[in-house]
Amino acid sequence: MRFNRKMIVGAALLLAACAPGTNDSGTNSSAQNHLTYLYFTDGPDEQVTRALIKDFEQETGATVELQIIPFSELSQQLQGRIASNNAPDVFRTDTLTGYRDALLDLKANGQDIGAQFMDEARDYISGPGGSLLAVPSDLTMNGPFVNLDMFAKAGVTPPSQPWTWDELIANARKVQQANGTAFALAYDKSGHRFSGMLNQFGTNLFGANGVELDAAKASAAIRQFAELHQQGLMSKDFWLESGTKYKGAIDIFLAGDAPVCVSGNWQVSQFTKVAKFRWAAMPNPCAERCGGYPGGKFMAATKQSANPQLAAKFVAFMNSRAAQEKYAKEAQFLPTRKDLIASGVQYPNRAEDMATFLADVKRTDKAGFASTYSPGFSPTATTVVKELAAVIAGQESPDQAVTNIRAAAEKNLR
Amino acid sequence: MKPWNQRLAPYLFIAPNMLIFGVFIIYPAINGFVVSGYDSNNGRTFRPVGVDNYGNLFGDAEFWTAARASVIFVLAFVVLCTAGAAGLALLLTQPIRARGFFRAVFFLPVLLSPVVVGLLWGWILERRAGALNSMLGADIPWLIDGRLALAVTVFVGVWTHVGFYTLIMMAGLQGIDGSYYEAARLDGASAWQRFRFVTLPLLRPTTLVVVILSLIAGFQAFDFIYTLTGGGPLGATTLMVQYVYEHAFRSPIRYGLAAAGSVVLFVTIFALTMLNFLYARRREAV
Repeated sequence: MRFNRKMIVGAALLLAACAPGTNDSGTNSSAQNHLTYLYFTDGPDEQVTRALIKDFEQETGATVELQIIPFSELSQQLQGRIASNNAPDVFRTDTLTGYRDALLDLKANGQDIGAQFMDEARDYISGPGGSLLAVPSDLTMNGPFVNLDMFAKAGVTPPSQPWTWDELIANARKVQQANGTAFALAYDKSGHRFSGMLNQFGTNLFGANGVELDAAKASAAIRQFAELHQQGLMSKDFWLESGTKYKGAIDIFLAGDAPVCVSGNWQVSQFTKVAKFRWAAMPNPCAERCGGYPGGKFMAATKQSANPQLAAKFVAFMNSRAAQEKYAKEAQFLPTRKDLIASGVQYPNRAEDMATFLADVKRTDKAGFASTYSPGFSPTATTVVKELAAVIAGQESPDQAVTNIRAAAEKNLR
Repeated sequence: MKPWNQRLAPYLFIAPNMLIFGVFIIYPAINGFVVSGYDSNNGRTFRPVGVDNYGNLFGDAEFWTAARASVIFVLAFVVLCTAGAAGLALLLTQPIRARGFFRAVFFLPVLLSPVVVGLLWGWILERRAGALNSMLGADIPWLIDGRLALAVTVFVGVWTHVGFYTLIMMAGLQGIDGSYYEAARLDGASAWQRFRFVTLPLLRPTTLVVVILSLIAGFQAFDFIYTLTGGGPLGATTLMVQYVYEHAFRSPIRYGLAAAGSVVLFVTIFALTMLNFLYARRREAV
């Protein structure tokens, strides 16, 4: 086959037609007085979200369509919908990274509510020129849970004040031996959760001025973590990403294979429903510092909304004092509003466990907030998991892992 | 000359298929090639980077780990599938008792969803409470040791696909005229000689089809591996398709790099398929 000029021009036109890029500056097709709310659920929050939406509809006469998708599909769906001018009016997300240019300025649409929320998130939710791109809708706090039945059998009393890491390990081992469980500890396979340990060892991935990982402190944390696996106190199989029936550390805990599990407050509601034993939240252990590691979700509206003022109003309504209190109470979440943090939330169930997490919020070093809200955090957390697995498998040293994590953090922040 | 409507008819018949093929295969393929010249972390804003993505790809240690695992997987998968399918086809075309039952047994895994296959074998091979280790009373790290995990992945892949290739081989065997065997018998050929000098040469076109199909399936393997090992331990069973998937859809998202990876995968499969064809054509000419 010979190439002639027509074919070359045709191929060039075809390639030009395929050049990537989208015109995502239009508006979606929401009808007047109607909103779409893209949402992923942690479980117990769905029902209360639906109830709050009803309240909003009654108050404003607007209609809100709740579109629930799995968390794993959020980024893909949202980016695709923004690219095709079909963005939801409002959405729930765990990060603003990658969406910032598509977010509606809530302040310019009549909702100057940024100051009502915790100061630690202020920079993260602010856009250029002091715009308000989102609000933190709930706060999470990492922390350990203990199996009270197993602790009782071993004659160990869970502490009301934080243990040191050494005390936690020694006591977990004692409970493991007394009960004959496979492991002493289970720890979520997550860079976010390990960031709690980093914070306790006195360092963080990011700070206000960029990457702030202290090599010696991070190396000590990783060494400690790997030793727990090498000593058989934690499940090596689980962290090596393969060949285990467990999907999360809580499954190990719920199956009665470990008396202690490090996860976070979002598990309280689920444990209440499914745990077949007595359990309780325990303060995070201390090393150089005490406290856990914060995280949370945000609520934002998109520029493509055909009803921007209504969308901003909906965000404000769902995060008003009354709504957030109801949301936190029913879903066992922690509040992000300053007034609710100050007054506290009276949880109808498991109030003591929630109080444990709230106490850890106060103990947590502020640097933890700067790290979790850094735009580089989410991608770097993935690297943390990979590097930890390599150390646990004996393929690299803790020092090498720190070097690699630091390099990834610097790259992700660029 | 035929009237215009008769000349147009064949094109109209193939038009729906070509339309679907164009929209869902050709356009994404060209688009993927174009995207490999750009960088994007959200799928909306693209920055032209020339061939940088290819440079980054070839400079990425994870790419080479995935490429190495892919080559090992594909080699083992193609050899075992082809040999296994040929052997099973020979056995299942013999006049044995319950032949239909055995054919069904070997074909059944083909009907299973790859996700189910991955989960099923994951439960069987789990170290602490898996069915196999419980039965053996052993503590074999089937899915924890990198080499074992890759070997297991090949085994599960072959177990899943061999029934399909056996079917093709059986069709090939049944297409061989019985007079060739009769003539060989009359010439005093032994059973081995009949296999070596009649069956094998006449089965070559079918074998080529099986080799090409299994080669493509091997390079495209993803779903059952993803549910079986998740690509672990430590990337030991992460093949090229998973590498592409993870860079396209897992944080940090790198669409351009993922597209470059899929272009490299396409070129590799295309080149190997062409080599197979050329080799077969040359053998036919000889």
